[in-house]
Parts: sequence; structure tokens; C-alpha cells
Amino acid sequence: MRRIPGIRRAFRLPWSSTSRVNREVDDELRFHLDMKTKELVDGGVPLDEALRQARTQFGDIEYTRRYMNRTDRERMVSERRAEWSDEVRQDVRFSLRQLRRDPGFTIIALITLALGIGANTAIFSVVRGVLLRELPYAEPTSLLRIFSTVDGYQSSVSPADFNDWRNQTRSFSALAATDESTVNLTGSGPAERFKQARVSANLFQLLGVRPALGRAFTPGEDAEAAPRVVILSDGLWRARFGADRAIIGTQIVLDGFATEIVGVAPPEMRYPSPVDMWLTTRFGPRDFSDSKRGARWIDVVGRLAPGVSAARAQSDLATVARRLEQQDPRHNTGFGTRVVPLHEEMVGRVRTPLIILLAAVGLVMLIACANVASLLLGRTAAREAELAVRTALGAGRGRLVRQLLTESVCLAVIGGALGLGLAVWGTRLLLALAPGDIPRLYDVRVDGWVLAFTLAATVVAALVFGAIPVWQAQMGRLASTLREGNRGSRARPGTSRTRGMLVVSEITLALMLLAGAGLLIRSFAQLREVDPGFESAQVATFTVTLSPVKYAALDQQRAFATELLDRVRRIPGVDSTGVTFGLPLSGAGFVLSFDVTGRSAPPPNAEPSAQVRVASAGYFAAMGIPLKRGRSFTTSDRAGAPRVLLISEETARLFFPGEDPIGRHIQFGWTRDGDRLAGEIVGIVGDVRQRSLSSDRTPHAYVAYEQWPLDEITVVMRTRTDPARALRTAQGIVTSLDRDLPVYDAFTLESLVSRSLGQPRFYLLLLSVFAGLAVVLAAVGIYGVVAYTVQQRTREIGIRIALGASTDRVVAMVVWRGLALAVIGVALGTAGAFAVTRVLRSLLFGVSQHDPLTFFGVAALLGIVALLASWLPARRAARVDPLAAMRADG
Amino acid sequence: MDLLQGTLDVLILKTLSWEPMHGYAISRWIRQRTDDVLTVEDAALYQALHRLERKGLIESEWGLSENNRRAKYYQLTAAGRKQFRAEATEWRQYAEAVFKVLETASQ
Repeated sequence: MRRIPGIRRAFRLPWSSTSRVNREVDDELRFHLDMKTKELVDGGVPLDEALRQARTQFGDIEYTRRYMNRTDRERMVSERRAEWSDEVRQDVRFSLRQLRRDPGFTIIALITLALGIGANTAIFSVVRGVLLRELPYAEPTSLLRIFSTVDGYQSSVSPADFNDWRNQTRSFSALAATDESTVNLTGSGPAERFKQARVSANLFQLLGVRPALGRAFTPGEDAEAAPRVVILSDGLWRARFGADRAIIGTQIVLDGFATEIVGVAPPEMRYPSPVDMWLTTRFGPRDFSDSKRGARWIDVVGRLAPGVSAARAQSDLATVARRLEQQDPRHNTGFGTRVVPLHEEMVGRVRTPLIILLAAVGLVMLIACANVASLLLGRTAAREAELAVRTALGAGRGRLVRQLLTESVCLAVIGGALGLGLAVWGTRLLLALAPGDIPRLYDVRVDGWVLAFTLAATVVAALVFGAIPVWQAQMGRLASTLREGNRGSRARPGTSRTRGMLVVSEITLALMLLAGAGLLIRSFAQLREVDPGFESAQVATFTVTLSPVKYAALDQQRAFATELLDRVRRIPGVDSTGVTFGLPLSGAGFVLSFDVTGRSAPPPNAEPSAQVRVASAGYFAAMGIPLKRGRSFTTSDRAGAPRVLLISEETARLFFPGEDPIGRHIQFGWTRDGDRLAGEIVGIVGDVRQRSLSSDRTPHAYVAYEQWPLDEITVVMRTRTDPARALRTAQGIVTSLDRDLPVYDAFTLESLVSRSLGQPRFYLLLLSVFAGLAVVLAAVGIYGVVAYTVQQRTREIGIRIALGASTDRVVAMVVWRGLALAVIGVALGTAGAFAVTRVLRSLLFGVSQHDPLTFFGVAALLGIVALLASWLPARRAARVDPLAAMRADG
Repeated sequence: MDLLQGTLDVLILKTLSWEPMHGYAISRWIRQRTDDVLTVEDAALYQALHRLERKGLIESEWGLSENNRRAKYYQLTAAGRKQFRAEATEWRQYAEAVFKVLETASQ
């Protein structure tokens, strides 16, 4: 038997060769029948009889033919598949070997990718949790927040308006009111202050939230005279009540009132915020009366009726508002309503900064990809000889492209896996660093969406940086490389140009990021410069709220505050102390309109108004708020004495222009038990920032505490020694005065100031980290390109040195290559940054989006970095030994 | 005499353990070896050949036959050789056991 070697290869079945399979089966069967016939003829059987016998002896030919065809086709498919996966495995093994062989390249590429993918995934996990995740309530898109508006400004809602909306609109299937505050829990264990929400009885049904234990509120439980009931949060139930299921039906004491626990909310119930417990509003007919219409302090959430649009609900509410304006112009002129989707209302404030961060980190990713692509290009160029040999040995173009892509994918996948680990850690870090006033951080986690994002980022990265070397490695050129006998002496113009372009785009993007970070840094510095109006160093504060049962009478509240202040003043190290209601920068407090005695009544809604604070005599000294004119409160401004007031400079400027406010009498729109808040202005004090350092000055008015006591008492103490120790001592004093009185909001004023800068600091920190990362990556990119140039031009440099070029000239020539790229990149980046810093406008304070100092500074910084990154490899060029360089190159 | 179920595969493997052969040669070889006692239907033989190839126990290659015609030659793969050894041992043990029982019964 003779066999043709290699014939099996020649007959390799291509992909769709059903016809070939059929033909081969036919051939095989015909051969058998021919041989059989021949055997019979040789044995003496006549030919036609032999033909017939051969067929009958064979059996069922048709069935066998079909059977053979089917079996062969199956075999072919599975062989192809095995071959393909074999090749992939081979490619992967080969790629991993290549990557191991060049650890310098591999480590840099992997770190770059891991940082890029990790940072992107971490930021995305925050964006996903805060902005993209649906609210955990039934049909969250039909939930709306409803606000009152005053001359276009959003305000809270009065219970009276809420009641009218509930009764007079048709657009909502339900409306609920909520109000957040704090509450004292006494009785079981130590007295503690908890966050509570007072809500309409239908809130849980409206949101579609079922209690995890017990029941929701029932209709009527929010009425004034209803029995007191409470629903605990999952967290409070576990932490304070040991997850005791028998707790339902028992009573706890809240602010002195016995209250029955009727339910425990599921963990995902966090409306209106992550409070510890829900109580009912207990509104009475008086709260809904016209006389109380000006008291706007509750929040309203509604669910749209099926098929009703937000716009129709808005016009429905507007009709009610117009009717109220006609009915009661004194309280309602200029008031309107606004509806905002619930999710938008919760996260709208942080959408812009978060999207900016996501875009910034996306730019970092692009830079990372450009860097890896540039590194890969350098490597591909170095491996040209290998690729050319493989082409010559018969590796098809497709096979080589696949090999190159496999390397990219291997890099990306390993980088992605490392990045994911980094992201899990990074997300945790982000959550730890994030200021508490970013909403919904509790919804941030690395979930399926985040994993999908990482995967997508990895694939996109692999395609982006993998495609460029493939595009460069044109097979024709490779073949010519082999013919020319490449000695690695020629700088490939194509590769150099592509790498140059990549580096320019890296510098461009890095400069844009740097400009953004620079603007935020400048803006933050401006914020730090803002005078809050008080001196925060060495001042500590804490708050207590007196039980409305135990301290029902104003005299009792006054007595307690006086006693407390006396004892605190005697703490060693405490210089001055005072009480207030509503600290600066806390956003707490209330605005009251007032009349000035002797002026004609202003038109409705044009009355002067001010942030009203209650303060004791020592408050201004303790806070370091300066007295500008007149006198401050003194101990003689007691309960029976004539009522006196202080106003801030802004109040004087706004409402007493060109006249002396001292000696004028004003009356506020706040009456308590028939007693109207009013008094004579005796002094003017400095302005303080009420909400944040970046907010405008707001008019303030101060009432003497002794003359207008409140149940919520914030004590401020200025100390010579450690304020934290004074706080601990003060805590002991409160407990000794009233065992059932928890101390809360205990902190130093410095931490209050610092907290008010939390969001700007957070965005600044992240953007700076991204910009820093971008600069480092760009520097690595420049370094890589210049080093490659030096390596490629070693021979030329050697000749120049041999011909007498000075070292300086050689260094300058090489540095210029890097610097030229940097100059182009900086120019493009500056133009780009100029165009896009507009998006930062809402985050900037006291600095223009095109701040020349920032732009100049970041351009200079990047220039210096580029110079350094070029100079390092250039030094190596200067050390080239001309003889060795030329000898090595033949 | 008809073949017992499952016998054909092991016979093919045995035949091919000598040298690569085409289907007709295998059929002839089995006939000669068993002195025409066992009749192997050609249809069954070819189905078995393709089945064994699909399982990876044998592989095929086109070559030239004794009379210079293109023919498909089958040969054992490594897996086929191993399978043959295992099956042959099993058959021998089985046949011996059956034989032993039959001997006992005739006494």
C-alpha cells in the first residue's frame, strides 16, 4: 500500500463542505462495491449478476449512506471547534509567555489598566447607587415631591395647604406629609436622642412599603387625639431592642409620652431620610386653619393617579393655589407650587458633580488606554522580526492579528480583574471619604451592573489599545522588514508618528483634567478664605431638647437653661459660654417676617424678614461674633425686663438703609400663648454664614434667651484647654441635672466648619487624584516615546557624537522631541479645557471658569513634567558610545 | 452466525491493530479470519467505521489501494488502541466465564 504523505492536510475540510462530505462517502461506497464486484467476477460470476449481488450483500445502502454523511458532518463540526479552541488556548499561552518575558512592560501596562478600570468602576458604583438605582418603592417614577414656592423660591409647605391639596386636587392617588426632627427615648436603658419622622398615616401605603413586622399606620392615626404609635426602623430595632419580635404592642417613652410600637420597617425603607423611627403628624383642625397658613414647615410627597402626568398635576395644584390667593391674599399672595420627581429631588443636587467625576475618570481611562497602546506599539515594533518570520513560515494574516489581539485581551482581562479588586477597595474608600450630605450613599455597592460596567470597560479598553498595534502591523511591511534584514536601526516613521499622536492626546486630556482640578483647588482656597463671621478655634457645642411633658412651662425651660449655663461656666478651662437655637453653617433655624413700628404696613409678601435666633448674653463672646454698634445682651435683660433685640449688619443694611436701627422697635410674626415676639433693637452684631461658606449673607435677628426661652438648647463654650474634654464634662453635668436628657450634636465648631466644606473637599480630592493620575500616565507616555526614539536612533546618535556633536546638543535634540509633543498637547489641552470648564461652573466659588492663573499654572506644571520625562531618557542618549553603537549596528 | 451485540466494534479495532486498511479489506479480513463463520453485513461495518471515527477511536486518510485506486484507509488512534486493549481483555474474560459454565453443565 502506498500512501501520499500530507494528503490528510490537503483534504482538510473547510467550514461549509457538506458537499465534500457527501462526495467522499459516495467515493468510499463506490470503491467497496467495485471491489466486491471484481471479486465476484474473478470467481466466475457474470458481470451484471455480480453487480446485483454486491449491492444485495451490502445491505441497506441508502440508510448507510445517510448514516455516514450525518456522522461525518458531526465529526467535522466538533473537530473544527476543538481546533479553534486549541488555537485560542495556544494564543493565550503564547501571549502569557510573551507578557512574562517582558515584565517591565507587563507590570506598567497592568498597573495602568488596573488603575484606570478600578477608578472607573469605583466611581461608577457610586453613580449607579446614587443616580441610577431605582428607589426601592413601588412604581418609583410616579412619586413626586410637592413644594410651595415664594416668588419662585422653593419653600416647605404649611399643613393647611397640604390639607387643601389633599381635598381639592384629583391628580394624586395619595398625598402624605412628613417632618423630620429628633426625639428623646427614655425608660429602657440610657436616655438617647434619635432621628424621627412625623408622617401622615398613609405614608407606608403610598410608598408601597410593607412593615417587616407588625403593621403600618392605620387611617386616622395621624389625627390630633389619636393614641401615640411608632414604627421602628430596622436598624434601631436591632441595635436598641435586640431584634426582639415580641416588641410589637409594647410601649416606649418618647419625649415623655408613652407610645406603642406597632411595627418595624424593612431595612430599605428610608423615606424621608434614614430616620430611626416614624411617628404620626397628629395634625388638628387648628393646624389646617387659615391663621396657620403662613407656617410652612412640612414636606409633601405624592403619588400620581394612574395616567396623570406631572404637568397636569402641576396645573391642578396651581388652580388650588390661585383659589387660595383670592380667598386669603394676606398669607397666599405670591405663593405657588412646584412638583419635582422624587428621585430628582433626592439626588438632583449631586448629579452634576457626580457626572463630572465620571467624565473625569473616563478621561483617565482614555489616557490609560493611549498609554498601553503606545507601549504595545513600541513592543510590536521591537518584535517585527519575530512577526515577519512567523508570516514567512505561513502564519496567515488573520492568525497574526488574532495573536496580537489575544495579547491585548489577556492584558485587559488581567488588568480588569486587578481593577475590580481595586474598585471594591476603592468603593469602600470613597464611601468612607464621602461627606454625609451626599444622598443615597447607602445604596452604593458593587452589584451586577457594576460588574457589567467593569467587563464593558475591559472589553472597550482591549479593543481601543489592541486595535492600534494591529492596524500598525501591516503584514506587507512586515515581510519587507524581513527582506531588508532589519537590524533595528531604522526608526519606523509610522510607529513613531502614531505614538507621538497618542502622547499628544494623553497630554491634552491630562491638561484638561489638571485645569479642572486646579480650578477646584483655587475655588476651595477661596472658600477657606471666607470669614464665617465667628471664630471656630477652641469652641465646642452640644444640644439638648427638653421633654415637653417635664418642662411644659416656659419658666421650667428657662430655669433649666440658666442652671445648665451656670454649671458649664464653672468647668475649668471654659472662658465663656452661651446658649442659642440654630448654629451658623448648620442650616438650622427659622425665618420670620417682621414689622417696624412707625412704618406703614408693607404690601403682602414684601415684609422684611430675618433668620431669628435666640441667644443668651454670653453667646456672642463664646462664638467670637463681634459687636459692631450699640450694646450686647446683658444679664439684666431678664424675663420681666423690656424685650431687647440685636440685629446683624446685613439686616441693618437691607431694612434700615440711611437710618439708625438702634432704638427702633420691631414685631415678628410669631405669637406664643398670646405673646407676640417683639422688642427694641439695642445693638448690631457681625454677620454669620447661615447655610454654608459659599452662601450669601443673610439678615439675622437675635432675641434674648431669658426673654424668649425655647425647649431646644444649644450650648456653646469657648475653652482655653481641650474642647473635647470640656464636652465630656458638660455631658456629665446634663446627666446630673436630668438623667433622662440625652446630649446630641456634640462637636467642635472647627468640625462644623470642616463639615460644611465636605462636598467641595470630596470633589476636589477626587478630581485632584484623577488629574495626578493623568499627569503620571502622560509622563510615562512621554518617557516611553522619547526612550524609544533614543533606542531607535542609537546608531545615528553614535555617528553624531563621533562627528563631534557635543553631549548638550544630543540631549537637546532628544529632549526637543518630547517637548514638541508636550507643547502641542498643552496647546490643544488649554483650548479643550477652555471649552469644557463651563461644566464646573456650579462647583466653583470666587474663581472664574477661565481663571488665567490656573490655566497658566497647569500648563507650566505639565511643561515641567514633560521636560523631566524627556530629559531622563535623553541623558542615556548622551552616554552612547559611538564605537559600540556603530559596531553593534554593523 | 450473526454477530453478538457490540462484537463488531472490537473486531474492527482488532483488524486495524495490524495495519491501516480500507473498509473492503476489513470486511474481507474478518470473513477470512473467522472461516466464514461470522457474517458481517457491509452496511453495519461501514456505519461502525464512521461511528468509531466520530468517537475518535480510529482516523481515516485517503490513499491508493493495491490496484491503484483512491481508497479511504482507517487506522487506530492512541485512544482506539487503548480502548481495544480494554475491550479485548473484557471479551476474553467473558468468553472464558461462559465457556466454563458450559463445560460444567455437560458433566
